[in-house]
Amino acid sequence: MVEEKKSKNLIKDVSFRIAKATVKAILVYLIYFLLAPLLAPLFELVPGIMESIEAFIAIYIALMIIGDITARTIFEHIFRTARALFFMAYLLLSLGDGVISTSYENFSLTLDLTAFTAIALSLSLLNVAASILQAINFMSDKAEADSNLQTPR
Amino acid sequence: MNVAIRALSLATTIFWILLIAFITLSAFSLKDLNFSLDEPKFTVTAEGELLFSLPLSIENRGYCDLKDFQLATVFSDATGKVISTAKSSVPLIAHGESVTLVHNATLSMDDLLENAGQYLFNDANLTAQVAAGLTFADFLPAQISTNFTFPWGAPLYNFAIDQPTFEPFNSTHSLVAMPISFENHAAFDLEGAIRVMLFDSADSLIGESQTRFQAPMYSPYRGDLTFYIPLNAESSAAQRGHCDVYFSTTLFEYGPLVIPYG
Repeated sequence: MVEEKKSKNLIKDVSFRIAKATVKAILVYLIYFLLAPLLAPLFELVPGIMESIEAFIAIYIALMIIGDITARTIFEHIFRTARALFFMAYLLLSLGDGVISTSYENFSLTLDLTAFTAIALSLSLLNVAASILQAINFMSDKAEADSNLQTPR
Repeated sequence: MNVAIRALSLATTIFWILLIAFITLSAFSLKDLNFSLDEPKFTVTAEGELLFSLPLSIENRGYCDLKDFQLATVFSDATGKVISTAKSSVPLIAHGESVTLVHNATLSMDDLLENAGQYLFNDANLTAQVAAGLTFADFLPAQISTNFTFPWGAPLYNFAIDQPTFEPFNSTHSLVAMPISFENHAAFDLEGAIRVMLFDSADSLIGESQTRFQAPMYSPYRGDLTFYIPLNAESSAAQRGHCDVYFSTTLFEYGPLVIPYG
């Protein structure tokens, strides 16, 4: 009876996590879907950036879904950290030193995104720090719970 | 610890939202930015230099201010030598405002003719490098640059001296009429004097004459130079020799242009 109840709870829990991950993924994609047309004038100037952003969104959503499915385990924090690190790596690879130069017909456009890159990288570092702190907190909570279980009454 | 981590995550999320909103707003504002160029004009300054004026209108209908708008032009000749550099700037174009800027570049004809006298007589193309830079919303510096060729119309295009005609003037001198012609292809009026020195085949000066001329832009000019030469020089002058032509205008001094005749 207890086993059956545990199994039912597990299915319910996993279903809830999958539903939550799906809703979050849809929300993120919706934000991208709504923002992309607004940023289109900027994207048109840099060839290939649209494909690169689409690949980034796909990987980011995948890491987010895995992170949500593995919620309340150490893997959640590992994937969250991986997601923040992936974002930093993408930002560094795509923007480099923050100066974007592109040519259109006879015109050459240079955009200095150094300030944006610096802020985005700082925020990503904060995300990484928060994820690591959450992992430490999770491990310490777990260790505390284990020690409480082992303490003789 | 949990509260601190949550606060950190919340703060990061808020900053991310603000950053993304700002970037989206900036990109969206870009398309509401209008630049329009009017017809460029050439005028002659009191210092005898050629002034190139380019009226430029900037309409900022976006949500963000534009700061430090700068427009720089560099004109160079066919050999790549820089003839003129000029810079114009507008410190601030607030959102919803329109600004009209007249970009002035001074072209010194003396500099232009220093290495290439052919600009007086042959149409050519000058190269202009244009760079415009601005800081968008205090945050995003951007620069756009382009190169284009600028048609240069020669002010003395197809300059020619026709065969001189000789007529007896009095018992000692003959009257020599020398037709001159050219087309002013330049975008400015030309006014000045042409001085011609007539030499015979032995390089002896046999006559000198000067005439004033006025050639409006894009129009042909036709005139006559008259000389009085001694009768004894007529025979040798009529055979062959050369003319040294000197031009003196408000914009430039040029000469001698050696044209053989006969």
